[in-house]
Amino acid sequence: MSDSKKARALLEVKDLAQHFGGLKAVDQVNMTIREGEIVSVIGPNGAGKTTFFNVLTGVYPGTRGEILFDGAPVRGLPSHEIVARGIARTFQNIRLFQDMTALENVMVGRHTRTSQFLLGPLLRTRAFIAEEAAIEARAKELLDFVGLRSSGNERARNLAYGAQRRLEIARALASDPKLLILDEPTAGMNPTESAELVTLVRKVRDRGVTVLLIEHQMRVVMDISDRVFVFDYGVKIAEGSPKEVVANPRVVEAYLGKEGA
Amino acid sequence: MSRTARLLKARWTPWIVLAAALCLPIVGNLVEFPYLVRVGGVVGLFMLLALGLNFTLGYVGLFDLGFIAFYAIGAYATAIAMKAHVPAPLAIMLAVAVTVAARLLVGVTILRLRGDYLAVVTMGFGEIARLTINNLDSLTNGPKGMQVRSWRPLAFVAKDPNVQYYLLIVAAVALSAAASRRLEDSRVGRAWVAIREDEVAARLSGIPVQRYKLLAFTLSAVFAGLAGSLFALWEQFVTPESFVFWESMLVVSIVVLGGMGSISGVLLGALILGGLPPLMQAVLMMQERISTDWINYRYLIFGLILVLVTLFRPQGLLPSARREAELDS
Repeated sequence: MSDSKKARALLEVKDLAQHFGGLKAVDQVNMTIREGEIVSVIGPNGAGKTTFFNVLTGVYPGTRGEILFDGAPVRGLPSHEIVARGIARTFQNIRLFQDMTALENVMVGRHTRTSQFLLGPLLRTRAFIAEEAAIEARAKELLDFVGLRSSGNERARNLAYGAQRRLEIARALASDPKLLILDEPTAGMNPTESAELVTLVRKVRDRGVTVLLIEHQMRVVMDISDRVFVFDYGVKIAEGSPKEVVANPRVVEAYLGKEGA
Repeated sequence: MSRTARLLKARWTPWIVLAAALCLPIVGNLVEFPYLVRVGGVVGLFMLLALGLNFTLGYVGLFDLGFIAFYAIGAYATAIAMKAHVPAPLAIMLAVAVTVAARLLVGVTILRLRGDYLAVVTMGFGEIARLTINNLDSLTNGPKGMQVRSWRPLAFVAKDPNVQYYLLIVAAVALSAAASRRLEDSRVGRAWVAIREDEVAARLSGIPVQRYKLLAFTLSAVFAGLAGSLFALWEQFVTPESFVFWESMLVVSIVVLGGMGSISGVLLGALILGGLPPLMQAVLMMQERISTDWINYRYLIFGLILVLVTLFRPQGLLPSARREAELDS
């Protein structure tokens, strides 16, 4: 923790808003994430967490505010450009390329870090062959990293649920992100699988990747997070260490209602 | 099957098929059925069209129902260039360039649409193109059609122009299939299939989706333009009648029947759907005892094949196999 406090800011969000007509899905969000942290975003259903992630990754343009990533503004950039800048993500409902093999899924993730276009593949140039080999080697290494190497030739659709979640992480890591955004990575998992995922997320951080995640299982949040942000009705209502946050009356109120407080 | 056997199979199959295709004119002579070569040429043109449509419908999953319009543009561009006394090889290149340019223009405007909307608009464009050709008398001579100056390629190989064009078409198909295979198995091909599988995930994996859609859409016109150009030179006559909506549907059926995104699949699909009807027609015409009414039933059989495939093999006759990688090491 003391290290991460000294580390420089990787992501700075200032007064960010995403409105849909009259609905303020995300409003007045300020957030700073430093290099090497694991940060969780929690909040009741409909609190705007996923919308917030969608603005960060260019799915929505945002209505107001600023997102500085690595010192440069990224709000409103197209998603593929944001990936190229170093933000990768996974999805709440798993979105794999179902009919491709696990290895190919990860190879697709290398897209922004590679460059061979039409002539290379058509003429089978040496540069093309070398790049393909590098893509494949890197993809295998990442499958290894998430523990899926032996399933490399399986089609994504045929993988077990937990394996699909891990494959999504491998695909996201293939773009060499500085920030990895995980949208409910333990959704639908039993306690054993969740614990494995927590281990994996730590391993990701140890590779030097900063992690931002939405999480519902409080056990996971308490276990993994350096800091926690709490959202309710589109605004950030609290932030701090996991312990500070659960002791915060506004957070308890958001989850349980006023009488529970 | 062992890995070596599989590799051998993969390496030799295309060459065996190509050799067999090159033997067709000889077989046609032996069985005294020279019409076989013409059928072969027609099948080859359908193969080119299907390989082209395979880029959009097969790899990227774009519902493209007006593909034949670009076949028509290739054919008419060739006819017009030949009329202006452009040498035939140059006319082919010009026709391909014009077709690609037209396709690019259309793509830029319509590729923001998805699914059914794209299907309706491409279908509409197909009809607009045909009607324009039909009515632009000054350029296309309207419904009367255009004569195309005769060109005899490969005269040193065979005397029969049908054989000449057949061989030219076989070469074009072989090159197109090889180019498709190489693109499919590359960063570009993976990006296309990723878009088909999940557009949002593709975008958030760093793929500029719009640009890659446009790329596939435009590249497919190379094949349509080439096929149209060869068609015009071979037939020495083009008319709007050849480019009706039904032909677009036929190419779509070929790709779906064979297996979307599968090169061997669409080639097989073209062989069946492009080859059977004219072959059945020819055989029936020769059997004088059988009533020629049977010819009218050929598309019924064709429809039956489609229904059976959709029911029992929805992924197509030869669905695309994903590349297998060596995982230990």
